[in-house]
Amino acid sequence: MSKFNDRVFGLVMLVIAVAYYYGATQFPVPFGGSEAVGPETFPKLLAVILAICSLYMIVKPDPDNHWPVAKTFVELGIAVVVLIAYALLLEPLGFILSTMLAVGTLCWRMGARPKKAYLTGLISGAVVFVLFTYGLELPLPLGLLEMN
Amino acid sequence: METLHYLSLGFGVALQPENLMFALMGCFIGTLIGALPGLGPANGVAILIPLAFTLGLKPETALIMLTAVYAGAMYGGRISSILLNIPGDEPAMMTCLDGYPMARQGKAAEALAISAIASFMGSLIATIGLILLAPLLARFALTFGPAEYFALFVLAFATLGGITGKNPMKTLMAAAIGLIIATVGIDLSTGTQRYTFGVLELYEGVDFIIAIVGLFAVSELLFFIEEKAGAGREMIKVNPLKLKWREIASIFPTTVRGGVLGFIAGVLPGAGASLGSFISYTLEKKILGKKGYFGEGDPRGVAAPEAGNNGASSGALVPMLTLGVPGSGTTAVLLAMLVSLNITPGPLMFTQNADLVWGVIAALLVGNFMLLLLNIPLVGVFVKILSVPPMYLLPIVTMVAVVGIYSISHSTFDLYFMIAFGVGGYILRKLEIPLVPVILGLLLGPEMEKNLRHAMQISDGDWSILWSSGLSIGLWAVAIIGLLLPVVVGPILRRRMQAAKAKVG
Repeated sequence: MSKFNDRVFGLVMLVIAVAYYYGATQFPVPFGGSEAVGPETFPKLLAVILAICSLYMIVKPDPDNHWPVAKTFVELGIAVVVLIAYALLLEPLGFILSTMLAVGTLCWRMGARPKKAYLTGLISGAVVFVLFTYGLELPLPLGLLEMN
Repeated sequence: METLHYLSLGFGVALQPENLMFALMGCFIGTLIGALPGLGPANGVAILIPLAFTLGLKPETALIMLTAVYAGAMYGGRISSILLNIPGDEPAMMTCLDGYPMARQGKAAEALAISAIASFMGSLIATIGLILLAPLLARFALTFGPAEYFALFVLAFATLGGITGKNPMKTLMAAAIGLIIATVGIDLSTGTQRYTFGVLELYEGVDFIIAIVGLFAVSELLFFIEEKAGAGREMIKVNPLKLKWREIASIFPTTVRGGVLGFIAGVLPGAGASLGSFISYTLEKKILGKKGYFGEGDPRGVAAPEAGNNGASSGALVPMLTLGVPGSGTTAVLLAMLVSLNITPGPLMFTQNADLVWGVIAALLVGNFMLLLLNIPLVGVFVKILSVPPMYLLPIVTMVAVVGIYSISHSTFDLYFMIAFGVGGYILRKLEIPLVPVILGLLLGPEMEKNLRHAMQISDGDWSILWSSGLSIGLWAVAIIGLLLPVVVGPILRRRMQAAKAKVG
């Protein structure tokens, strides 16, 4: 079993800890002179703790969890892209349409039949929209479906 | 006497029709959340926080609803343990041991009913314990100065991994990550910008509700995709209920023991509900010895862990309400709710927000009765919803999370942030770095820094004030023990829990 993950993550965190500490030294001195505990003290303390933990992880890493195979990685990538697209399209397309696309695609990629998946998306989107707009009086964007 | 007075005040709040309605709703949703595998109580409560916000609920109503969800989730966890042999949440693991065999013998309905009664007893005992203990602890906590508080926060982080936690260094690292994220934004006492990189959205810091929803809900979705668990598993059919009073009476002593043990495990830092149900189960097995047939569908083996974990979940509210220091993931999320409602958690809450605190406590009692009533006749409804495969359910849950976050601020920037936290949470979970300390760090960071500052101002820059009183030394000592104990005792306990589970699985 390799112990690669913890080492890499430890290294990344160590770099962050150093950068974070450096960032803390760059804060302007607050108005009225410096105090015993200024804005930089607590971050410096945290940077030291993070650095110690990172070093520990590098020196004594736990065995790796298996990472998903390439195909699953693609699926994970798709899910993240779908979520980002959802956030991006929420306002222009409107809530119902974008939800149908996002929830539908996610259901489909998780193993549902495409037709059933997008139908689930449409129904859940419409139900939540009605519930929010009329039940809770919190309007969600209608987007393309807006009638002038 | 004073307690009784406050309690009646609390009932006055809890029995208002609006609060009753939201408590009932919370109980129902909570049971569902607990029952669905992969949607733990912390996750469920987190998704509901934004909704509670956008509904513009009064603080006490919001908190009553979410505590009802919390209590309900503990009830619900058992349903999938018994019917699917998959614990709905971690503490429900022990319920699988005898619950699933019982269900396989065609006694699923009896197992569900017994576990509901045991859950009720566990919660009832622990809530009484909470009523007796919390005011005492709150009064004691009033003597804490900033130095003691700082030590208390350290203690909370040190014990959060729990005795059964794997690698305390990773818990510590998670806490540091959370605290570091909490420092982003404008420093409240000096106005210095910290790590904002000139991005306007970061000036107010990272909203922990966005972080919590991202870390839990989105990373859960990714995990389900990875495990290809979309189709779900086959479930045992529920038979018509035939339960005699004699059988209920026979589990009564078990539930009392389980409830008391669970409560103690819940109050103590670092123990938590998983340990509560584990201890109750093992103790019951020891006491009954050869008279029981544990592991083969003994009803007492269902009752003990259920009473234990429900007892522990109410017990875990004690440190959260009195000290403002949560001992578990879900109580941390509940604390997030309090903080975002502008209520400073801690001992002062008992005097300044008495109606809120006691309203919630009374609501726990009321909710417990509701849950019992909901859970025995309506179990069929829950079972039906449980049979919806995750491939439909998780996308919808994620959508609800997105709507919740969006409706707080109507900004899509927050959504990107949430997704980023989700991906981060996935990576952390892959590396077995626990998420709860990250959230606790985010939540307690500002308070922790404030207390450090106050302490240093009092001592004029002398660091030794942090360990100058007997009380703070005690707290530091417990914190150090909390970090070291998992290294010594943890492997043994974990092995036992695994062994117990392996026997059945």
